[in-house]
Amino acid sequence: MQWAGIALGVFSLGIIGFGFYWVIKLEYLLGYHWWPYPMALGILMVGGSLFIPSAIYSALLGIAGGSFIWGATEMKEQAVRAELGWFKFNPKPRPSPPGYRWIKKIKAPHL
Amino acid sequence: MLQFAGFWMALVMFLGIWWGHVSVRWLEYRIRVIWPSIVALAVAGLALNVYALFAPNLTISGVSSVIGVTLLWDAFEVYRQQKRVQKGHAPANPRNPRHAAYLRAGGATTDDLLEREPQGAPAAADTLSVSRTTGRRRDIAEPVAKSAVIRTTRGGM
Repeated sequence: MQWAGIALGVFSLGIIGFGFYWVIKLEYLLGYHWWPYPMALGILMVGGSLFIPSAIYSALLGIAGGSFIWGATEMKEQAVRAELGWFKFNPKPRPSPPGYRWIKKIKAPHL
Repeated sequence: MLQFAGFWMALVMFLGIWWGHVSVRWLEYRIRVIWPSIVALAVAGLALNVYALFAPNLTISGVSSVIGVTLLWDAFEVYRQQKRVQKGHAPANPRNPRHAAYLRAGGATTDDLLEREPQGAPAAADTLSVSRTTGRRRDIAEPVAKSAVIRTTRGGM
């Protein structure tokens, strides 16, 4: 029996829970303009998973990468939720991400 | 040789969360009673996890389990979406009798408050919307001119 498959499902549930956490934290501490960084991290993780010989470790990395890509698309909506008062709004100035000039030109993805 | 297990898992993870997210909102907007959908999603989620135990290889097993877990989560999200509609954090459907009751009770709204761009500051009172159905302003105390209100209604639903 493939218990490892179920373990991957449980891992995906945990990583979704972690996604809820880091999206809120990152938006609060840095702001939603940082979205390309978790997205790039996710893409690198999925790319890296192609070169891991072990199917299970490749799968774990792929699941984590997929959730980072999703989380990046949630950051803008999280900023709106904070502004609406549904989450804590950070009134302090937040650091601009590296490459902010280019990031500003791209519409933050939102699904 | 490239190992595609992680790639398939990532794809299923991303699409599963995305479509789950969209479908739950679509479904909850229309259904009059939520529990049959919750039961159906939970049963499908459990069935996929049982299938995962007997799948021929790890990739198929993992993909089934990840979709299964996503469906279980979606079952819970149908309930959470109902709560969001009751609070006005998601738009209510006045043609759905269940939502119409939430609108009559107050607190719910037909507007989608999330359909706005971040402004970098807490949403000012004059940019929060008015419930079209009850005419009651939400979250704030003083009334403002109608012209100052940003309409955030999601069209065509």
